[in-house]
Amino acid sequence: MLWWGMAGAFTLVWIFMVVLWLVAVRRDPGEVDDAAAERLQTRWIVGGGLVLPLVAIIAILIPGIPIGHGMLPTADDDVLKIEVTGHQWWWEVHYPDTGLTLEDEVHMPAGVPVHIHLRSADVIHSFWVPRLAGKLDAIPGHENVLKLEADEPGSYRGACAEFCGALHAHMGFVVHVHTVNDFEAWLEGAAEDD
Amino acid sequence: MSRAEHPVHLVAGLVVWMLWFVVLYGLLSVGCAVAPPGPGQGIWNWINASLWLISLVVVVGLALAGWWCWRAAIVSDESHARFMTRVSAAIYGLSAAATLAVALPVLFYPPCV
Amino acid sequence: MTEPSRQDRQELHRRFEAVWSNWPGLGTLAAVNHTSIGLRFMVTGVFFFLVGGVLAMLARTQLALPEQDILSPEIYNQVFTMHGTVMMFLFAIPVLEGLALYMIPKLIGARDLVFPRISSLGYYCYLFGGLIILSSLFLGMAPDSGWFMYTPLSSAEYAPGPGSDFWLLGITFVEISAMAAGIELTVSILRSRAPGMSLRHMPIFCWYILAMALMIVFGFPPLILASVLLELERAAGIPFFAVGGGGDPILWQHLFWLFGHPEVYIIFLPAAAIVSTLIPVFSQRPIIGYRWLVLAIILTGFISFGLWVHHMFTVGIPKLAQAFFSVASMIVAIPTAIQVFAWLATLWTGRVVFRLPMLWIFGFLFIFVCGGLTGVMLALVPFNWQVHDTHFVVAHLHYVVVGGMLFPLIAGFYYWLPHFSGRMPTPVLGAWGFWLTFLGFNATFLLMHLTGLLGMPRRVYTYEAGLGWDWLNLLSSVGGFVMAAGIAMVLLDVVLHFRFGRPAGRNPWNADTLEWATGTPPTSYNFASLPDLPTRHPLWESPQLMDSIPEGRHRLTSIDHGRRETFGTDAVTGRLKEVIHLPSNSWWPLLAACSLAVVCVSLLIRMYPLALVGLAGAAVFLLRWSWENGAHPGAAPFTGPETDDPPLHSRTCDGPGLWGMWVTMMANGTLFLSLIFGWLYSWTAAPEWQVPADSHVSIGLLLASGALLTVVTLGYDRLVTALCRGRAEGLFGRLAGLLVLAVAHWLLLLLAVLGSDLDVTAYAHDGLILVMLLYLLFHSSLATVLLGLQLTRVRLGYIGTELPYEPVVLRPFWLYLLAVFWISLGIFFWLPLAWVGGS
Repeated sequence: MLWWGMAGAFTLVWIFMVVLWLVAVRRDPGEVDDAAAERLQTRWIVGGGLVLPLVAIIAILIPGIPIGHGMLPTADDDVLKIEVTGHQWWWEVHYPDTGLTLEDEVHMPAGVPVHIHLRSADVIHSFWVPRLAGKLDAIPGHENVLKLEADEPGSYRGACAEFCGALHAHMGFVVHVHTVNDFEAWLEGAAEDD
Repeated sequence: MSRAEHPVHLVAGLVVWMLWFVVLYGLLSVGCAVAPPGPGQGIWNWINASLWLISLVVVVGLALAGWWCWRAAIVSDESHARFMTRVSAAIYGLSAAATLAVALPVLFYPPCV
Repeated sequence: MTEPSRQDRQELHRRFEAVWSNWPGLGTLAAVNHTSIGLRFMVTGVFFFLVGGVLAMLARTQLALPEQDILSPEIYNQVFTMHGTVMMFLFAIPVLEGLALYMIPKLIGARDLVFPRISSLGYYCYLFGGLIILSSLFLGMAPDSGWFMYTPLSSAEYAPGPGSDFWLLGITFVEISAMAAGIELTVSILRSRAPGMSLRHMPIFCWYILAMALMIVFGFPPLILASVLLELERAAGIPFFAVGGGGDPILWQHLFWLFGHPEVYIIFLPAAAIVSTLIPVFSQRPIIGYRWLVLAIILTGFISFGLWVHHMFTVGIPKLAQAFFSVASMIVAIPTAIQVFAWLATLWTGRVVFRLPMLWIFGFLFIFVCGGLTGVMLALVPFNWQVHDTHFVVAHLHYVVVGGMLFPLIAGFYYWLPHFSGRMPTPVLGAWGFWLTFLGFNATFLLMHLTGLLGMPRRVYTYEAGLGWDWLNLLSSVGGFVMAAGIAMVLLDVVLHFRFGRPAGRNPWNADTLEWATGTPPTSYNFASLPDLPTRHPLWESPQLMDSIPEGRHRLTSIDHGRRETFGTDAVTGRLKEVIHLPSNSWWPLLAACSLAVVCVSLLIRMYPLALVGLAGAAVFLLRWSWENGAHPGAAPFTGPETDDPPLHSRTCDGPGLWGMWVTMMANGTLFLSLIFGWLYSWTAAPEWQVPADSHVSIGLLLASGALLTVVTLGYDRLVTALCRGRAEGLFGRLAGLLVLAVAHWLLLLLAVLGSDLDVTAYAHDGLILVMLLYLLFHSSLATVLLGLQLTRVRLGYIGTELPYEPVVLRPFWLYLLAVFWISLGIFFWLPLAWVGGS
């Protein structure tokens, strides 16, 4: 919603500027003396150059700051932790609680936040599930924590977003989101198979 | 040449802004590396407090400098001096505004996460 | 016009031409004239633009349909890496530098730039570096890690071929030309304006170029340092960015974007300069809000250095730090908005003449405003996390750089076409070229925003069908080819105009700025006589300058001495201070650039002894070049008491060379600060930083060396001060004494470096110390050699109380060496002691 509002408002600003340009080029100004030009300068530059961008910035920061807050990992220790390690060109997915390790697929419960602990075994990768969250890089020597939360069960496509070499385009993965009960069942079943 | 029309004022405000920016980012990074405050403290910790304090000092200093140049601009009757002092005053003013704006998030975010 | 005056005019022209023209035939390669060099820069830049364009078409062909295998992933990765590299480093920056080199002296009423041989050196470094990089493409070993070369993907382990080396060495070579242009333009604008042209009277174009030049001076050194460090890591195994040895790949990203974001504004500012020059001319009124534009230019120049981390929002930097950069990225929209509204207000109050260049200005406004708005959206961190590294960012950056740079550039090319060639472009073909380019561009990139929002990451060589990206990519590819057809049309128009364009006559657009008084096409010396210019709009206020300048009715018309000369003026007020004598055609820049090319190629093929030979050659040629200065018979020999008013600059204590030295030291200081940043960053942030227990550098030797350095520098400083006050008793003896001490200082430093026990392949810590020591050693060697040359020149009579200039120019170099020496010792040896002792 916010994005569409932002995109819509900015499109209006854009159209306004282009129309202003067309009118400015076509109109006949008559004689403009220096005093009139000076007044116009102050009005246009203060209005368009200072006020307009300030209003736009404040308008996007007011909703933007709380959203940024919401994306911080929560301090809770009992959040499900999944360790994901990027390799050229596949993802190693490890559940430290059960010792389970998967390749290119993540299973998680719906409706609760999950912490993805990101690492890299070689070059920089970036873990991205477009429909669930923003992306975060997996960097050698560093560990980043991404908070992932899915409302609805289903399968979501993921990709590597940071260019990582020849087969970067094929470094996709799938996130399977289950209801909490199904997830528990899956976890038990998978642990037995292992 | 009066002191307010010296060309150094064309850049001094933004040089201060830049140094302040480096201090802001540097203090935050070093602070988080050396003595990170506990996660429960939110924004009430030594890092946010000192960042905010430094920023306020810089804002007040820049605003005063801008006011000083602006007064010189009003009284000057020579076009070269008026040009230099007016632009300098605006640079100081906008530097102060930029300092305030960039420091704003210190009021909202905890430092090290 | 009476008959005799025309004859006088032609006679004057003939005499000036004899001194100022390039040598014929192959001798033209020795040209140093800014008009020739500027044109060469631009033509070469257009050539690289076409290369980059062909690469873009290859990429669009591959992506037109899903799951194609026209290009293998290996080739595709080379193609997009080279597309970005060529467009940014070999087209955008050099072509705008070329335009600035061509225009600046003509706008400020000077006959040439103040360091003509540096123009020539810059051009050859650009040409050779560009060709070296391009050759990698034909050898099939082009860099393939993306144009920002993130390590470890670009490191020896994950990019074992020579691709990354081509990039690192070639780009560093090309950057010599950017630094040269930055220094030269800064000093020329500040010190060689026409008498009476105070800062407030500069055409707005000059403010933009001044800001661009200073941004180059401060913006490029971080990348130069990063490239040197990464190349050292690849070639010698010093782990500056490798985690295992105590390095950090994030350091590369910081250094790269410390350069990379200002770079966007380095190419935007000159393009905005074109817009600000053309709009008043076609509105036939002075620009509205000159003062506001100056303000916006200064703001942009500074604030754009505080944005770099917005390219790194997804690397896991603390939220609060991201927020600083997020807000800074948003407020940089303010100076841009000020400019856009100043342009609109000028059009609003003017009676607009709608000609071909204005079409391209319209295209600029349409595209750039959109790019600016998506830029503000991207500055918001949560949105950035979603679309970073997707095709949305690809679309955004093309809106900014194509809209913000290419469209104004083509507008400028059309506007100045009559100035280059003396002929007018044709309106019909030109309009076709514009509309095809404009529509093609928007078809390609407007849709690409959506492709990105739908989740397509950037830099993928192919994609699966059925994800909703298919039709968008196909249309983008079609648009790309339409745009290419438009560019082809523009080129055709330009080629045909040489044959069919109608003669332009004088000042065809009724412009206000002085470049139109240099002739169409311009004379090699620009102005036969130099007028006072206390105005921003010389040709509107005094149209008679078009005649009075070539007729020699202003100043500095004597040419019988055979020297190239222009006026040197005060940086702020434009008060006349001296006559700057300029060097003539010279082979030294070409020879020095050839030697540097040998260095570059031999480092590439790892023949290090050959690299040393090249380095020695470059040093010899550059020092030989510096020899032909001042009172040397090839420059302005001293012929007994001179009473000229104003004096020649080499007879004073404050000439362009001194300013050039200070600006160079600012650039150098930025390089040094980047190294300090790397050191402090690694200490605090590298995940596996280790301080080896047994590495050893003799602090005693360094202290002794530093003590001698202090004595030499202070002694030299006093000697120069006395010389400028007209006292030169025992000059030779005192200088000789200082030289002995300088050599002793150098020897002690050399001993400290050779005797150091550093395990550089195991520890980034030791590697950084080694780089610092070599940096000091290089400066110390150069300072000592230059001091020796000064001594010889005293003996030959090139330096004395009447000729105090050269020791003055050298002084900042010694002061700089003194400062970095002690700062290095403090930060590299004592600060860690305090750190370790305290924790």
